[in-house]
Amino acid sequence: MECRSPWQRDDLVSQPVSRRGQGSAANREKGGVGMGQCLRYQMHWEDLEEYQALTFLTRNEILCIHDTFLKLCPPGKYYKEATLTMDQVSSLPALRVNPFRDRICRVFAHNGVFSFEDVLGMASVFSEQACPSLKIEYAFRIYDFNENGFIDEEDLQEIILRLLNSDDMSEDLLTDLTSHVLSESDLDNDNMLSFSEFEHAMAKSPDFMNSFRIHFWGC
Amino acid sequence: MSESSASALPAGRRGRQPFVHQDSLSLDSSYFSSPPMNFLQELPSYRSIARKRTTILSRDKQSDTLLKPTDSYSSQLEGGITENLNSQSIRKYALNISEKRRLRDIQETQMKYLSEWDQWKRYSSNSWKRFVEKAREMTSHLELWREDIRSIEGKFGTGIQSYFSFLRFLVLLNLVIFLIIFMLVLLPMLLTKYKITNSSFVLIPSKDIDIQCTVYPISSSGLIYFYSYFIDLLSGTGFLEETCLFYGHYTIDGVKFQTFTYDLPLAYLLSTIAYLALSLLWIVKRSVEGFKINLIRSEEHFQSYCNKIFAGWDFCITNRSMADLKHGSLRYELRADLEEERIRQKIAERTSEETLRIYSLRLFLNCIVLAVLAACFYAIYRATIFSQEHMKKEIDKMVFGENLLILYLPSIVITLANFVTPMIFAKIIHYEDYSPGFEIRLTILRCVFMRLATICVLVFTLGSKITSCDNYSCELCGYNQKLYPCWETQVGQEMYKLMIFDLIIILAVTLFVDFPRKKVIPVHTATEMRERAPPRRGSGTHRSSLFLCVPLPQMSLIYTCTPSPRQFRASNSNFFFLLVLLIGLCLAIIPLTISMARIPSSKACGPFTNFNTTWEVIPKTVSTFPSSLQSLVHGLTSEAFAVPFFMIICLIMFYFIALAGAHKRVVVQLREQLSLVRKSSRSRGSWPGTVTQDTERKVAPVRGSGWNAAAPSHHRPPKLCLRAQSPPASFIH
Repeated sequence: MECRSPWQRDDLVSQPVSRRGQGSAANREKGGVGMGQCLRYQMHWEDLEEYQALTFLTRNEILCIHDTFLKLCPPGKYYKEATLTMDQVSSLPALRVNPFRDRICRVFAHNGVFSFEDVLGMASVFSEQACPSLKIEYAFRIYDFNENGFIDEEDLQEIILRLLNSDDMSEDLLTDLTSHVLSESDLDNDNMLSFSEFEHAMAKSPDFMNSFRIHFWGC
Repeated sequence: MSESSASALPAGRRGRQPFVHQDSLSLDSSYFSSPPMNFLQELPSYRSIARKRTTILSRDKQSDTLLKPTDSYSSQLEGGITENLNSQSIRKYALNISEKRRLRDIQETQMKYLSEWDQWKRYSSNSWKRFVEKAREMTSHLELWREDIRSIEGKFGTGIQSYFSFLRFLVLLNLVIFLIIFMLVLLPMLLTKYKITNSSFVLIPSKDIDIQCTVYPISSSGLIYFYSYFIDLLSGTGFLEETCLFYGHYTIDGVKFQTFTYDLPLAYLLSTIAYLALSLLWIVKRSVEGFKINLIRSEEHFQSYCNKIFAGWDFCITNRSMADLKHGSLRYELRADLEEERIRQKIAERTSEETLRIYSLRLFLNCIVLAVLAACFYAIYRATIFSQEHMKKEIDKMVFGENLLILYLPSIVITLANFVTPMIFAKIIHYEDYSPGFEIRLTILRCVFMRLATICVLVFTLGSKITSCDNYSCELCGYNQKLYPCWETQVGQEMYKLMIFDLIIILAVTLFVDFPRKKVIPVHTATEMRERAPPRRGSGTHRSSLFLCVPLPQMSLIYTCTPSPRQFRASNSNFFFLLVLLIGLCLAIIPLTISMARIPSSKACGPFTNFNTTWEVIPKTVSTFPSSLQSLVHGLTSEAFAVPFFMIICLIMFYFIALAGAHKRVVVQLREQLSLVRKSSRSRGSWPGTVTQDTERKVAPVRGSGWNAAAPSHHRPPKLCLRAQSPPASFIH
């Protein structure tokens, strides 16, 4: 097995992956280097604690995402330096059938790629324990298709088209629905929703917290 | 500089609200802090502005002081830092992980400049929060059926998942009720019976009661047929009657322990009151969220378009077929809503003669509905009387099946009625010409009413039979002692039979109807599951927790159900289930209170043989209190206290109703005001202190790249690093 600098770090708590040993409670034992996959070895205890402090994810969820990430990332790279493309993240089972997956990927990726921490950040926003303000913030970014800082009629029509996913959509239906949404939540009558108006509407919505969450990331 | 401070803004609103925003905030804050507007502070929009204000101002204060460090600012800085640190935990910031890390490093460096006390306070609150989180994580593992319900959510959506979490709530409620009854009533008896503790039963001989009332004939013929045990199991008579399942088992007046005497009748009554109160409180607590949302909204219909479009997609769906179904149901729902709008408009445009015709037709059809209901109730009444009269025949005079049929006749009639009436109601409502949403709601309401009312009829029939005597007077014992020597047990037996029959029917329908039907016709609506849901509550029997509750419907759901095109929403169905449960509970409490307070307790069995009515235990216990306490209790229960108390409660209720109305009006006024401000600012050009639409539009695209998370974190670190390093240097001199 090749010698790489990560193996020789002093703060490494875990054993190199080539040895099948007993894992401690905090780290999970992984097998040998898989074909075409990232170097698989355990996460540092300190990293795990830090991720738990910085995100809303539980320990099991973080380890699960770590697993999933390792299965997908390119071979021979340390997980902290590896990146996934937006297509790879879009094809995760959690996002595969989501009509907004391209927007989710655009909002959470940096420079068009996902690092491990970007994936964790995404999972944290969608986790069950996340606070409403965080979810509303990211929901607004996801729903703003043209990225002008507002959800305007164009964005609303795009959202409706994605939700209904049908080929025969009459213009009347779209304009009707759009005008209804705007009449309910547009408080200053400028035909678009600013962030505060969106926040206000979602605070009143009973289903938002229930529907804006993902808890299955692959394990 | 502003970019770097903006980058560390909480909730990451860097760019959407530029620094001009501060003046408009001050305008808003002065508007909101004037006295008549103080109650506006409850509105969510104000709270979000307030949150932004504290964090933005503290941020800017902090940046100012960090740039120009002098000692006089240090206390201000401390205040600013503590305010900043206390405002949000680091997770709630809408930043990615590396930025949060840097922010945390900054916070930690700044914390060094706090006093010892503040540091210790901060540290202890952090450790407490971590402890609470770990505890919460551990208790979430104890949650019953967590993985199963999650997988249901992934496959079928949150609507059906809400049904299953409601079932789980029912199981937990039943378990808690069982524990209450076990601890208060069963445990002392079991301890004495099996000689675990050194205690004995206390039996007070009843005085001045006619000996005839205490006779309880246990029928035991010479030869017992082998199937009599089976009949006993199904009807709750015979050997089952003497178990702890029924009231008659508790014919004991007390349990004497070494140091005190445990008053069993009092414990029995108090445990009943306790579990009813607990159920009521728990159900009301759970349904408060649904009610609150209903009250805040000014619109009439429960589901708004905002909710359906922005919160319409269940992000947890992972199944391709379920996703297609969800798309289909959203299409259906939105189209149906628009259709309903059109129908409502059409209704509003009706001419007066059409309205008259419709209303007279509706009156006629409602009379038909009432007639159907009356027919069902009469059928149940006759069935119950027939069953009660013929139940006493000897077993050997009857054929096996006939005996069971007579025993279960009320249950059979109730089930048949509940099966037939929804079909009749569905047919009738077509002619009543309501909007589709209202049609569905009214049909469901009628069916639910039907179910609950049939049980009421059963209980009422039994009650009338118990208190009415045909040829001789009831004055001997106060109730029909000839037919019902131990009437509580017999009422309990009827409830037991109802429960067993329900269970048999559910099992039979799942196994013999749903599974074959899945093979033949692969579509089954999930709304039928909801109609089977409303639970029945018996009175006077023990409740045993039905752990069969969740696994069976889950199996049925997964193997037979393909969800219907019209899905129901989690929030709506939650509200509906809890409402039905609440109504059922209230309806169950009524016969219980009547029987406790009015009907004399049976003298042949049960713990209340020495009392006139069940409720009499309480006055007798109160009379053993010291005299001051006695007079207090008498004062609290007298009319002189009750009437003013009731009036005060009414006044408080009116106050809250008026407050809610005032809030609604204020919301409408604020909306109008906001649009007026926008319009006037647009017509006049930019107004000092307000962010106009134009400036927002101009500024936003420039900053647009800032808040899109695709913005590289690479060019931000240098600035943040500089800030992290500058404080120490700047504070040295």
